[in-house]
Amino acid sequence: MTETGRYLYAIARGLDPQAMTGVPALGGGHLDVVEHLGLAAVVSSVDLDEYGEEGLRRNLENLSWLEEVARGHDTVVQAVAEQSPTAPLRLATICHDDDGVRARLEEWHDALEEVLDRIEGRREWSVKVFARPRPAPAAAESTAGGASAGGAAYLQRKKAESQAREADESSAAAIADEVHHSLAGRSVAGRRLPPQDPRLTGRTDRMLHNGAYLVPAEEGDAFAAVVEELRAAHPDVTIESAGPWPPYSFATLEQS
Amino acid sequence: MTGAAGEVEQRSVGSTDGRQIALVDLLDRLLGTGVVLAGDVVISLAGVDLVQVKLHALITSIREDMVQPR
Repeated sequence: MTETGRYLYAIARGLDPQAMTGVPALGGGHLDVVEHLGLAAVVSSVDLDEYGEEGLRRNLENLSWLEEVARGHDTVVQAVAEQSPTAPLRLATICHDDDGVRARLEEWHDALEEVLDRIEGRREWSVKVFARPRPAPAAAESTAGGASAGGAAYLQRKKAESQAREADESSAAAIADEVHHSLAGRSVAGRRLPPQDPRLTGRTDRMLHNGAYLVPAEEGDAFAAVVEELRAAHPDVTIESAGPWPPYSFATLEQS
Repeated sequence: MTGAAGEVEQRSVGSTDGRQIALVDLLDRLLGTGVVLAGDVVISLAGVDLVQVKLHALITSIREDMVQPR
């Protein structure tokens, strides 16, 4: 006998359940809306062989499974966020049944209301700052093998190079701070997420800043213009932005 | 839009409207932030552990892709 659980995608306020018709659920099922105390949880049934603790342990190591689920989750969250203030849930949050979903809505009611107040009418933008790769000093190459240049000179040059690198890094870090503070000042809230590993981004330039900003929906263009100004003001770094997205980074419940 | 070389970035992977989130950004958010429910929830992936599992999965997979023919 196959057991199922209820997968939670997002919790919204004032959501018309009809609006979810036709939005695909994970695994090809259909979405349901569980309403309780003025909140609406968007859920669907999933097979616990696949989404149970054991199944997840196995599947999370499978990148194509993970991507499919992350994309499917995001598709639903985006559709809900189009309609209503929406707090997205983490990947693979699963309750036994709808009673379990309602119990969560009750237990977390006030915190969820606060989250929804915070993000209502607002969208998330991502802004990242990358260091420009430092050109290798040409002089260093030509004398690298020349022991005759003298050990002292060699050490001195190494020291100078290392100091230059440190100066570059500290100025890059200062630019990243400045970009973050400028953007945080032009948005409702800003967060610094951990910089992404180059092995994941597939880039050779180092990520100095991985920022998320909560911006009123109608101010998206103005925010993009600020990013453009920062780009012009800081030609020594690469600044990339993307959005608007659902407010993923700003839906965290305060944990007590 | 000016024609800076980096400008194409986020629109690569089959994006329909320029809003598709790069997988790595999505995972940052779906695994690292978002509402976390606990209690009688069967599975609520503990953030840190999952991120590690996940990064491990990604890195493993990327390394597999990068196996160079010698």
